[in-house]
Amino acid sequence: MITQIRLEFLKLVRSKGFYLSFAALSVFVLLMLWGFYTYAEKKTSGLATEQFKYTYESRSYFNGLTFTLYSLLFAFSLVIPIFVAMTAGGQIAGERSTGTLRMMCVRPVSRASIVMAKFLVVAIHTYLLLAFFITLNLLVGLLFVGWGNLELYPGPLNLVDAPGQILRDDALWRFAYASFSGTWALLVVAAIATLFSVIFRNPVTAVAATIAIYLMLYIVGRIEFFVDLRPLFFTTDMDFWRDVLKPEIPWHELYHYAATCGAYIFGLLLTSIIIFEHKDITT
Amino acid sequence: MWLKSLIGLLFVLSLLGAFIVKPAREREMTDSSGAEESRDSKHLRILTWNIGNGNLESETRAHAEDLPAVAVVILENEPDAVALQELTGESQLKLLLTHLENRYRGYVTSKGNSDRFDAVLVTTRSEGNAIFEDVPAGDHFAAAATFRLQKDSLEIYLVSAHADAFSASRRRGFSEDVTDFVRNRGKSGLTFITGDFNFDVSTRNKNNLFTDDAKQDSESYAYLLKYFRDLGRSAGETAINNRRIDYVFGPTKTVSVRRAEVLRDAAVGAMDHWPLLVEVGF
Repeated sequence: MITQIRLEFLKLVRSKGFYLSFAALSVFVLLMLWGFYTYAEKKTSGLATEQFKYTYESRSYFNGLTFTLYSLLFAFSLVIPIFVAMTAGGQIAGERSTGTLRMMCVRPVSRASIVMAKFLVVAIHTYLLLAFFITLNLLVGLLFVGWGNLELYPGPLNLVDAPGQILRDDALWRFAYASFSGTWALLVVAAIATLFSVIFRNPVTAVAATIAIYLMLYIVGRIEFFVDLRPLFFTTDMDFWRDVLKPEIPWHELYHYAATCGAYIFGLLLTSIIIFEHKDITT
Repeated sequence: MWLKSLIGLLFVLSLLGAFIVKPAREREMTDSSGAEESRDSKHLRILTWNIGNGNLESETRAHAEDLPAVAVVILENEPDAVALQELTGESQLKLLLTHLENRYRGYVTSKGNSDRFDAVLVTTRSEGNAIFEDVPAGDHFAAAATFRLQKDSLEIYLVSAHADAFSASRRRGFSEDVTDFVRNRGKSGLTFITGDFNFDVSTRNKNNLFTDDAKQDSESYAYLLKYFRDLGRSAGETAINNRRIDYVFGPTKTVSVRRAEVLRDAAVGAMDHWPLLVEVGF
C-alpha cells in the first residue's frame, strides 16, 4: 500500500496539472491583492471614510490576516474545489483513457487498494494546495498589507452573528486549523470525483460532472427558493470548515458537520471501490 | 477485504457521530430562549411586531381585520410596552386600543415621507402618564414613549422604528439618525430601540460573499451595537424566509435578558413578521 501511494504521488508530482493548480492559486492571490488593495484604498480615504465609520473605518481593519481570510473564503468556495475535482476526477478515468489501467489491475494488488492509494494522494494534494494557499496569502498579506488582529463583523462573509475579534497569534493558529478542516470538507468533492472517475471512461466527463454538481448545489443553496432543501446539500455540510475562524469555535456544530462530511467521504469511497471491483476493464 | 471493511466501519462511525452530536443550532431551538441568570427585582416586557403584510398583498400595510388578533396576542402576553410598525395611521391605533380594552395608551407617528406609521403602546399599569414623541429619522419618523413602571423605578425610553426595506444605505442613515437622537437626549434611565430594521446580519443569511449592501447593513448593526445590546439575538428568525430583521436593542450592562422569544404562532392573515417578545430584569 505504501509503495502504491508513493508511486501515485510520483505520478502526481510529475504531472503538469499539479503545478498548474499551484500556479493558478498564486495568480488568484495576486488578483485578490489587487482587488483588496484598491478597495481598501478607495474605502478608507477621502469621502469613502464615511462609509466605514463604525467597523471597517480604520486602515488597521485591512491587514494581512483580513486579506488571508477574505482570500481563503472566496477561493475555497469558487476556485479550490475545481482543482480538487480535476485531480480526483482524472485518477481512474485518466488511467483508463491512457490505457494503463488494465496494466495496473493485472498486478497482484487489490482494486480497493488502487482506489484508496489514489484517493490518499488526492487528499495529500488537497492539503498541500490549502497549506500553500494559506501560507502564500499570509506572506503576501504581511508584506503588502500589514499585520494586526483579525476583526470580524456580522454581515459580509456570514461568519459571525456579533462583532468579534481574534488576536493575531491565535488567528495564525486558526488558519492552521482551517487547513485541516478545509481539507476534510474538500475531500467530499474529491470522493464524488473519484466515484465519477470510476464510472466514466473519460476524465473530462468525470471532472465536469463533479464541478457541475458542486456549483449547482452551491448556487442553488444560496437561493431562498430552496431554503428547505439547503440542509440536504453536501455543500451546506462542507461549510463547517469556516467554524474554526470564528472567535468562539462552535465545537458541537463542527463535530456534527465534520462527521456528516465523513459519512459522505467514506460512503462514496466504498461505493467507488465496489463499482470498480465489478467493473470489466477493456481498455 | 480489510480495506473495504475499514472504510465501511469509518462510514458507519461517521454516520453515528453525525447523529449523536447535535448541531448547536438545533439545540438552540429546543433550549430555553436565551434566559440569563438574574436576581433583578424589576422586570420589563417588550413586544415588537411589524403587523404589515407580505409583498403579494394589494395592501401591504396592516389590515384592520387583523387588529383583533393582534390585540389578543398583546393581551395574552401582557407586555409593558409594545412597538408596532406599518400601521395605516391613527385610526388603526384607536381601533387597536379599543380591542385592547383600554389597557394600553398609544401613540402613532406624525406623517413623514412614508405611507406607513409606527406606533408605541404603554400599559396603563405604568406609573403616571407616558410621554410620547416623534423621533425624526431619515425622511420619516419613529415613535417613542417615556414612562416608568413604578413610582420609584427607572425611567424607560422606548422607540418603535421601521427602516427601509429596499435600500441598505437608507437603512443605515435611518439607524444612525435614531441612534444619534436617542444618545443626544442625554437622560438617565433605560433606553430601548425596537422595531423592524430590515437588515439580516445573521449567519443564516448565506446569500452574499461581500457586497456593498451587506457592508452597509453590517455598519448599521455595528453602530447600534456600539451603544446598545441586541437583546433578542437568541430568539431566531422573526420574518418569513428565515430572516431575523426585527430587533430589541437595549442597555449593554444594566439589564439581564429573562426571556427572548419569537411568537411564531401569532401571525394572522398574510403577515410576514412574527412578534418578538423580550423580557428584561433590571
